[in-house]
Amino acid sequence: MSDPVARPQANEPLSAGRSGSATTPITSLRRQRPPLIAVLLIATLFGCAVFIDRFGAADNLANIARQGAVLALLAIGQTFVIAAGMIDLTVGALATLVVVIAAHIMNGESANFPLALLAAFGIGVGVGALTGVLDAVLRIHSLILTFGLMSVLGGVVFTYTDQSSGAPSPELVWLANGSVGGIPVALLLVLLVTIACQVLMTRTRFGVHVQAVGSSLTGARHAGIPVARVKWICFVISGGSAALAGLLLLGRLGTGYPNAGDGMELDAIVAVVLGGTSLAGGRATIIGSVAAAALLAILSNALNLLEISSFVQMTIKGVIVVAVIIANRPRLPDRAAASA
Amino acid sequence: MSTASLLHLLRRQAIWWVLLLMIIIGALISDAFTRPAYLINILRQAAPVGIAAVGVTLVMIMGGIDLSIGAIVSVAAVTCAALMDGDPGRIGIAVVASCALATAIGAANGVLIGYSRVSPFILTLGTAIVIYGMTQIVTGGTARGAVSPGFREFFNQRLGALVPVLAIAFIAIALAGIALQRLTRFGRSLYLLGSNPLAARLCGLPVRRVTILAYAASGFFGGLAGLALLARSGVSGSLAASGYEFDVLAAVVLGGTSFQGGRGGVGGTIAGVLILMIAFNLVNVVGLNYHAQLIVKGLIIIAASAIYHRLDSNPGEAS
Repeated sequence: MSDPVARPQANEPLSAGRSGSATTPITSLRRQRPPLIAVLLIATLFGCAVFIDRFGAADNLANIARQGAVLALLAIGQTFVIAAGMIDLTVGALATLVVVIAAHIMNGESANFPLALLAAFGIGVGVGALTGVLDAVLRIHSLILTFGLMSVLGGVVFTYTDQSSGAPSPELVWLANGSVGGIPVALLLVLLVTIACQVLMTRTRFGVHVQAVGSSLTGARHAGIPVARVKWICFVISGGSAALAGLLLLGRLGTGYPNAGDGMELDAIVAVVLGGTSLAGGRATIIGSVAAAALLAILSNALNLLEISSFVQMTIKGVIVVAVIIANRPRLPDRAAASA
Repeated sequence: MSTASLLHLLRRQAIWWVLLLMIIIGALISDAFTRPAYLINILRQAAPVGIAAVGVTLVMIMGGIDLSIGAIVSVAAVTCAALMDGDPGRIGIAVVASCALATAIGAANGVLIGYSRVSPFILTLGTAIVIYGMTQIVTGGTARGAVSPGFREFFNQRLGALVPVLAIAFIAIALAGIALQRLTRFGRSLYLLGSNPLAARLCGLPVRRVTILAYAASGFFGGLAGLALLARSGVSGSLAASGYEFDVLAAVVLGGTSFQGGRGGVGGTIAGVLILMIAFNLVNVVGLNYHAQLIVKGLIIIAASAIYHRLDSNPGEAS
């Protein structure tokens, strides 16, 4: 199973992939998905620009980029975890913890910025590392492990503070809301992280290992891949990305709001799956995840511009979650045979 | 008796010994735990979560999971309150309609999962958002309706000046759940499907029908839990039971029903709920803030899963 992983850009005729889905579901999906998210993204952008008045304004587009940056970062981290066949539900609560503690430490002062940065990444990477260790030691499913940890982290946040307090320093506000030559800093940051992580995922031994672990745990173990270490690093990356996302979130919110990251873990998972990474593991695209995060940010912005109530938006979001999960469903052999 | 069956027995009984231990620890910390009225009140307090956990246990025996349970309980409670609207004559219709709605939502979960075979974990997290969103659209985001006079009074009256009707209803529903799981073909199908889905399919088990029925049952018990919540607290907000999925999952996992399916049962879940409630009460008694309960819940979910996993796995088995 690790052979197709090593060559993600297999160049076979498209028609074979469509009609032959019964025999090679994985390769056919890989070819079809990235264009799907690209088509969706372009169509949505075009549709919104044509039909919604204020959508195309430069400041609105910059706003979308800044809003989407937080989700994109969470999705990038989640991609590694999902590619390795696991899931990390802690990232929303973890980002919140970073928001609250970084806000408290900074308290709006530039002098405290380095310390807060250190604390944020210490917490993010530390919790990620802890999750990874627990995953290796307890050997319970990552869903149930991170679901429990999500509750613990939520409790820690609210024990720490149950009201908004503290403020980001000017540097962080600039990172989250500033621009360089008209381009939002947050967008540049996300592009940088995206390129780095895409290279890490597709061009390094570690990336190949991640996808090998995701496609077949036993296969990867037999191939001599240090499975436990690979999974651990995935959780560390996820924690680190949650820290960075939390910092940007704080910069945007302007205060340490203890519900800041509520539900973001699910948004991140949806972005990853929508982007073309398989929930079953073994197939990953960082660029797809980022494109999907952009798509979700655009949709959210468009619904806001159309003055759709937040309750309707919530419902639409839920429907998107369900639809995306079902569209990504695993193809079982007997099912494929029946439909062929 | 062989070692294996002794271990099996120990595993089945252990949770009740833990419950006893918790009560003893409680009694050492506070006199309250020695008073029958207090202990019975814990039973009443446990009713909403406990009743919801009965249904989720059935789903988890099958190897599924229902994280939309908090949303289902909430929507049942708010629907019941809105339909009653303070009129004692409409209690019957409100009760029936809210349970029917909850069952229908559960069945919808079952259809989505049965036909698409996606991860129920993520899917039900998604349907929870849909349910909350639609509830908020209908209610406008605020508490609607009012509990009819007589409804809460009925459930909270104490028979023999000691046992509230709600506590009795909880026990009765739990017994019904145990009967469903032990005595019916449906119950046995759940275990077969949970322990070996492929074998179940090859045996000709109607996998989809069982899946849909199980999630519908989870919805139905969620509806009853919504009524219990309404009876206990009178709260009819549209988010009344948000976060219940954590309590329910903690109770079910603690009771020995594993996330992998095929193991455990409603009896263990009841012990799990009671342990959870005593733990929450102890958190209060010790003077920790309410949010510490979240930490306790999370740790229980992780620790209980890990311990049962350790007990179940054979030493020679890899991963």
